[in-house]
Formats: sequence, C-alpha cells, structure tokens
Amino acid sequence: MAVWNQLEALIPQLVLIAFALLMPALDYLFKDKRLLAFVALVPLIGVACAVVAWLFGGYWEPPTADTSGLLEINLFTGLFMLVFLSVGIVVVLSSPEFIRKDRNQGEYYSLILLAITGMTVVAEATDLIALFVGLEIAGISSFALSGFRKGESRSAEAATKYFIVGGFSSAFTLFAISLFYGVSGTTDIYAMGPLLEGMFDSFEGSDKVVLLATVLLLAGLGFKIAAVPFHMWAPDVYEGAPTPVSGLLAAASKKMGFAALFKIFLVGILVVKADWEVAVALIAIVTMTVGNLIAVSQTNIKRMLAYSSIAQAGYILIALPVGTQYAVAGAMFHILTHAFMKSGAFMVVAGMASCAIGEKLDDFKGLAKRSPFLAISMTLFLFSLAGIPPLAGFASKFVLFSSAVYGSIDPGPSWLLWLAVAGVLNSALSLYYYARVIKYMYMEKGASEERVKVPPMTTVAILFALAMTVLLGIYFDAVVDLCMQASELFSGLPPGL
Amino acid sequence: MLEGVPILSVIILLPLIGSLITFSLGKREEWAKWVALGFSLVALVLSLVVAFAFMASPDTTATGYHNGYQFYEEYSWIETLGVSFTVGVDGISLPMFVLTTLLCTLSIVFSWDTKRRPKEYFGLILVLEVGVLGVFVALDYFMFYVFWEIVLIPMYFMIGVWGGPNKNYAAIKFFIYTHVASLAMLIAIMAMYFEAGVGSFSMAAIAAESVNFSRGVQVGIFAALFFGFGVKLPMVPFHTWLPDAHVEAPTAGSVLLAGLLLKMGGYGLIRVAIPSLPSGAEDMVPVMAVIAVASILYGAMLCLAQKDLKKMVAYSSISHMGFVLLGFATLTQLGVVAGVFQMFAHGLVTAVLFMMCGVVQHKCGTRMIPSLGGLAKKMPIVATLMTVGFLASLGLPGLVSFAAEFMVFAAMFDKWALWLFVPILSVAITAAYYLWALQRSMFGPLTDKIDTSHLKDVNWYEGLPVAILIALIALFGVFPALIFSRIGPAVEIILRLFGGG
Repeated sequence: MAVWNQLEALIPQLVLIAFALLMPALDYLFKDKRLLAFVALVPLIGVACAVVAWLFGGYWEPPTADTSGLLEINLFTGLFMLVFLSVGIVVVLSSPEFIRKDRNQGEYYSLILLAITGMTVVAEATDLIALFVGLEIAGISSFALSGFRKGESRSAEAATKYFIVGGFSSAFTLFAISLFYGVSGTTDIYAMGPLLEGMFDSFEGSDKVVLLATVLLLAGLGFKIAAVPFHMWAPDVYEGAPTPVSGLLAAASKKMGFAALFKIFLVGILVVKADWEVAVALIAIVTMTVGNLIAVSQTNIKRMLAYSSIAQAGYILIALPVGTQYAVAGAMFHILTHAFMKSGAFMVVAGMASCAIGEKLDDFKGLAKRSPFLAISMTLFLFSLAGIPPLAGFASKFVLFSSAVYGSIDPGPSWLLWLAVAGVLNSALSLYYYARVIKYMYMEKGASEERVKVPPMTTVAILFALAMTVLLGIYFDAVVDLCMQASELFSGLPPGL
Repeated sequence: MLEGVPILSVIILLPLIGSLITFSLGKREEWAKWVALGFSLVALVLSLVVAFAFMASPDTTATGYHNGYQFYEEYSWIETLGVSFTVGVDGISLPMFVLTTLLCTLSIVFSWDTKRRPKEYFGLILVLEVGVLGVFVALDYFMFYVFWEIVLIPMYFMIGVWGGPNKNYAAIKFFIYTHVASLAMLIAIMAMYFEAGVGSFSMAAIAAESVNFSRGVQVGIFAALFFGFGVKLPMVPFHTWLPDAHVEAPTAGSVLLAGLLLKMGGYGLIRVAIPSLPSGAEDMVPVMAVIAVASILYGAMLCLAQKDLKKMVAYSSISHMGFVLLGFATLTQLGVVAGVFQMFAHGLVTAVLFMMCGVVQHKCGTRMIPSLGGLAKKMPIVATLMTVGFLASLGLPGLVSFAAEFMVFAAMFDKWALWLFVPILSVAITAAYYLWALQRSMFGPLTDKIDTSHLKDVNWYEGLPVAILIALIALFGVFPALIFSRIGPAVEIILRLFGGG
C-alpha cells in the first residue's frame, strides 16, 4: 500500500483527471451536448462537497502528510480548492448555452477540468517543481481554452497572446526556481529558507543570486496575477476569450498565481523579506491605481472587468509586504469573495450574450427593464467589487485593509498604513466606473426594451455566485475563522491580530 | 411592558421586510405605497413607544439599561473579529431615532402620487430608513459603518432615477464624495480598533481605551473622523456635493437627505469622535469653531444669491448645520445639548421647507424665484405654510429653531465672549434671504411668467405632512424642555471626560 499512501494527496486531482479524460469520449455518445456540462459538474461538485464537509463540518480529515514530500493537503489548500472548484462550477453551469453552437464541446469541458486540476496541484504543492508542474497544467489548458473559438479572430488572437506571455512567464519562473535550487540545494519550499540563510554566510555573492531569482520570480508570477507592469495581456485575453473562460481566468487562474506567491514569498524566501517588501508594496499600489484608472475609460465590459481584476490583484498583494498571518487571512478571504463576485459578473455578461446582447457598456443601457434579474445581480456584484457593505467584497476588504493598518502599528514599519490608504482611495475611484454601469442599467434608456429570457443554467450559476456574495457579506465569521486558522500555517509570520 | 422585547431590532427590521415586500410586488404597483406606508407607520408607532417608555433619569437597575443606554441589545455576529450586533438608545440618539421614523413616514405620504416606478421608489425609502435607523442606534463600529454605507445606495438611486435634468452628475458626485469621506472614517475606526487592542468593535470598549491614547494619535484619528463626518454635515469647504444633490433629488429625497443624512454627520461627531478622543477634540476646537462660523456665514450669504428656491433652502442647510458644529465646538454642556437640539430642530424645519419647494415645483412647474410672484392670491394655504416654515427657519421665537440657535449663541458667548458678533451676523442675513424670497415668490403682484389660471391649492397628501411637522415645530418651540431633559443627562456623561465640562 506504499504507492497508495503516496497518492492519497492526489485523490482530488485523480477524480478530476478521470472525468477530464472521459469527456471527449462522451462527446461522441451524447446527442444533447448540454448533458456534457452535467457530467463535468459531477467531479467539481463532488470534490467541493468533500472539501466543504471537511472544512466546515469536520466530518472527516484529509491525510495530513504525504510521504512523497511534494504535495500536502492542509487548510490553506482546502480554501484555495474551494475557490477553484466554486469558480469551476459557476463557469461550467453557464457554459452550455454560451457554446451551444460550437464544436468540440467535450474538449471544452475536459480542458476546464484539467485547468482546475492544475490549480489544485499548485495549492497543494510543497515543492517548487510540483508547483511549477501545476502552473503548467493549468496554463496550457487555459491557452487552449481562450482559443476555443478558433474560427473567431479575437479568440485566436487572445490565445496566441496568452500563450506567448505565458511562455515568458514560465521561463522566468523556471529560471528563478533553478537559481533558488542552485543556491540552497533544495526545491522543498519549507526547507529552503534556513538553507538560503546558511549560504549567505558561507558563500559570498549568494545573496545577489537570490535577489536576481526573486526579481525573476516576481516577474514570472506577476504575469500570472496580472500585476502592473506585467498586466498588458489580461484585457486582450479576457476580451477575446469566450466569456465563461474569461471568468475562469479572472476568478480562478489568477488566484493560482497568488497561492504560488504566498507559498514562495511568505515561506520559501521569507528570510529575504527586507529585500522585496518595498518593491512588492510599490507594485501593489501601482497595480491597483493603474488598473482602476484605465478601467474608467473602458467601453467594453469585459475589458473593464479585466482592469478591475488587475486592481483587485493590487489589493491582494498588500498582504505580502504587510506579512502578518492576519494579512494572509485577509488576502485569502478576499480571494474567496473575489472569486464569487468576479465570476458572477462575468456570468452576467455571458448570460447577456446568450440573449444576443453585446459586450459594450452601452449595451447595458436599460437592462433593468429588459431583465430585472440580470440588472440586480450585476448591481450587487459591482457594489461588492467596490466594497460597499453589507456585501462580501466589503467584508474581505475590511479584513485585508485593516491588516495593513494593524501592521503599521505592530510590528511596523509605519509606512504600511499607506497601503491601506491607497487601498481605500482606489476603492472610491473604482466606485466611479462600477456606478456608471449601474447608472446605465437603471437610469438610461436602451435601444431596445424587449424582455430577455436568461437560460436556466446560467440563472443557477448567477444565483449561486449571488447567494455567496450576499451571505459572505452578512455572516462571514466561519470563513474568516478558517482563513485565520489556515494562515497559521505560515508559522514564520507574526500573528498580526 | 417592553421587558424582553428586542424592540430596537424589530423597528430596524420592519422597514427591511417592508422593502423586500415592496420590491417583489410584481405587477401590483399601486400597492407599493400602501405597503410602504404600513411598515413605516408601524415603525413610527413603535419608535414613539420607545420614546414614551424612555426614562429621562434612568433607573440603572431596569432591564435593558446598560452604561447609559436603554433598550440595550447585544448579539454576537462575527466573533473572530469581535464584531457584535449591539444597539441601544440614549438621550442623544432618541430624538434622531424618532425623527427618522417620522420623516420617512411623512415622505411616503408626501410622495403619494408617484407614478414612475413606485415599487422601487417606496422600497428605496424603506431601505434608507433601515440604514439611518441603524446608524442612530448602533453601538458597534463595524455595524455603524455598515449601516452608514447602506444609506448611500438608496439615495444614489433616488437622485439618479427620479431626479431632475442633471441627475446623473449629481448622483455620482454625491455617491463618490460621501463615500470617500466614509472611507476616511473607516481608516480612523480601524486605527482606533487596533490602537485600543481590546479585540472588540464595541464603541464603549474602544472608548474606554482610546481616551488614554497619546495626544498626537488622538488628534490624527480625530482629524480623519472629523473629515468623514464633516463632509456629511456638510461643512465648508466640503459642502459642494450638497446643492447639486438637493437640486436634482426628488422632494422626498431632499427631505430625507437634509432631514436625516446630514444629521448622521453631527451624530457621528458627538457619538464617536468627541467622546472617544477627548484630547483630540480639545486640540481641534479652534478648527471646528472656525469652520462652523465659516459654514454659518458663507452658507447664509450663498442663499442670498440663489434664484432657485430649492437651492436656497439647500444652502440654508449648510448654514444651519454650522450651528450644530459650533455648539459641539464649545464642548460645554449648554453648547452640546444645543447642537443636538439644533439637529432635531433642523430636521423638522428643513423637511417643511423642502416639501413646500416640492409643492411649488409641482403646482407651478418651476422653482425659479423670478418666475414666481403673488402666489398667495391663488394658493393661500401654500403661502401660509411656506411663511411659517421660513419664519421657523429664520429663528422666530416660539418656534423650534429659535430655542436651539439661541442656546448655541449663549454657549458661544459663555466660552468666547465677544467673538459671538461674527456668527450672529448670520441672523440678519438669514432673515434677509428668507423674507426677500418670500416677498418675491408668494406676495406682490401675480406673476405673468407662468400660467396661473389652473393653480389649485395644496393637496391633502402634500399638506398633511407639512401640517404635522408645523404642529411639532410649534410644540417643541414652546416646550423645548421635553427634549432637553432627555438630551441633558446623555451629554453630561460625555462631557465628564473633559473635566467638568
């Protein structure tokens, strides 16, 4: 049973991969392609239920340690899995209507499952190589997904762009990993820190190599999370990719980048925090500001949401320079809520597309008359993104920004307060473009007043995201508590609350 | 009678339930006003029950009494962060609380003939009521902030959907301007929470620690809070959102905006900023006083220049809310009580003024003073109500504002003696712009700029709310002690922090 023990931590991935391989075959069997979506939901909902039962019910315990030393299931992993799987569920639910006229639907769902598999591997990885493999599985599946409508030039352009940028990103990341390995002699994230420190004393110049590797890693993962100045690809790709896939990229794929960042920066190379904290803080402020400023001038809703995602990445990045467990908890909480509100917003756009409404902001004019459901859902998602209480986005921003305020008091340095100030000022700025969409929906007359009917599965997807957005805003004690417990795994950090 | 009944929570929940029902009425749009009126009326009656059961000199052993607050309720909410759902009223919040249920009910009556999207309209008034009520009874910072922000959303929609020609600009300006101010307050709240380090967002628990913060920290946090509350008040120079919002908002929106939302700013100062950070408040007294006097005078002078009746009333709010700030700035028993009383008085009076502007707009199709004139001949009741409203607002003795403003002046004289001559100039300016406006719009020869042949006098649904408000203005003008006796003890508790007060 030794082999079995080594595979225990891989069970979720094995389930997902099995179904992923099954999908193309089922494509030949099913006349009604919508059935494919239901099959794809089985592993997603199944694993998600298992994770929920573990995290919130305590009905079972996952295997604590994996003997292979590459993967580990812990609370941190569990929360990220929850993010990826929920987004997967929302995306799959709203896909059948969106791609009903496309070919190769089996492959489409197969790729979504594989992308999510890759993300879960990243969340579980305790080793740089395993982490990189996960990044690649997810990356390659997403490149193919963005080019799913290969006949459409926008989609093809998006895939090409994403592929090239993704290639660079992987190259940087891998190079950085090789340098870390060269200095420390290990790829184990948890063992790396002390080894690096030991080398600084005995081997002159090694700190320079680590600095170079850190910069490369920041660039490589910066592409993944679309932090400024590595963000150029995101709006083009989100605009060109099929809308449910854009939702997957913005709400899940990006979060994978954060899982990797937290593991490497707050565990692996925490010893050199002094070298990177100012740089990351500046990137955080620039990212949120640039994202919000450019979002103001967008006329396409998907591009606007893309820039808003960039801004949100800036908020989440606050957690790295603050570097307390409370900050990590806030970041994880924001990652979770952002997954629901952002995927929800994209699914509203996908739902509109299913009703033959376009993606321009002008197309939102008069939406409240045409579909009150889409309008009120979009309103709540956007208010939540802007951080208006009592919605989920407010709750998580509250925890995240307050961690910066506390970080500036204890343990310091006091400039951390400016991260919170930048965060709230940006939230106010973002309200401008979110409120404009709401204004279009409720206060202006559209070209058409015809009522539209939203496909039932898209409705379910939006309702699910909406329920989570509202519930996590009103009552989030259990989730914050879990995030706090998960953040205790970052044992090198001060508690910060 | 009320023992064991969570009456404050019930009063907050009622409009919430009412709004959900109103929004989901479907095709039965004409029911919306009845549902809204029903729920707001029940909330009003229950709040009056609270007001009459409120003990002016509380029996500290009674159930529901907790540290100066009555009808106290506490439920845990987000334990991890130390957030609880805590509500209670004292003599400062009680007048605001009743004012809220009263003005919301009267606004619904006043809007009785709303034809455009009535479900949303009445539903939003109820949502706004939930938010404002929550602000006035919250005793937990997190909760306070949540309710504070909830208020913005219905007001944004009211201006943006039912507003005048320039509504889009006004709605978004209102929303973002006040949201930025709220965020400054949020940062200040976080700073207090962490500096205190008690692991709870309870106002009382944090205040127990925050009074001992170093002077520098107190001044810093107080400044952020002062900005957050001052924009809402509004104080010069952060008042520019107000005239835009008022001019474009529908009448009920203006009534609630001036009658309730502005009070949130004053309430925040006296509930949060001053008692939590006494040293900060002391150091900021000169700033508060100068800004208050500037608001009083500048607001009044702006009124003189207005051609739009409603814009004039809007600017007069800046001037009158300056008295609230001036009262608080004295940090004396008399001054603070007067400030709180002025909030209540202004709530009643300004509601009358905005309703009368709404009536004029409704009847004549314009509010431009040069186009009006001699309307008293056609609409005697309108002219009478408007005259009483204007006289109340300019501080005619026997009406409610006189008592409040007189006390503010008395408190100021007590503290800064002859400096009183600066703000007292405003009395003359105020009388000037009100009487001049009255003369040009209601009296004199009948205007020929608008068609006056079909003008009818006031409708019941517009006249009744105004009449009720005027009755209250007279009642509390003659018997201000009805409220003083309740505000006094609460203010005394706060001022104990200032060594005698």
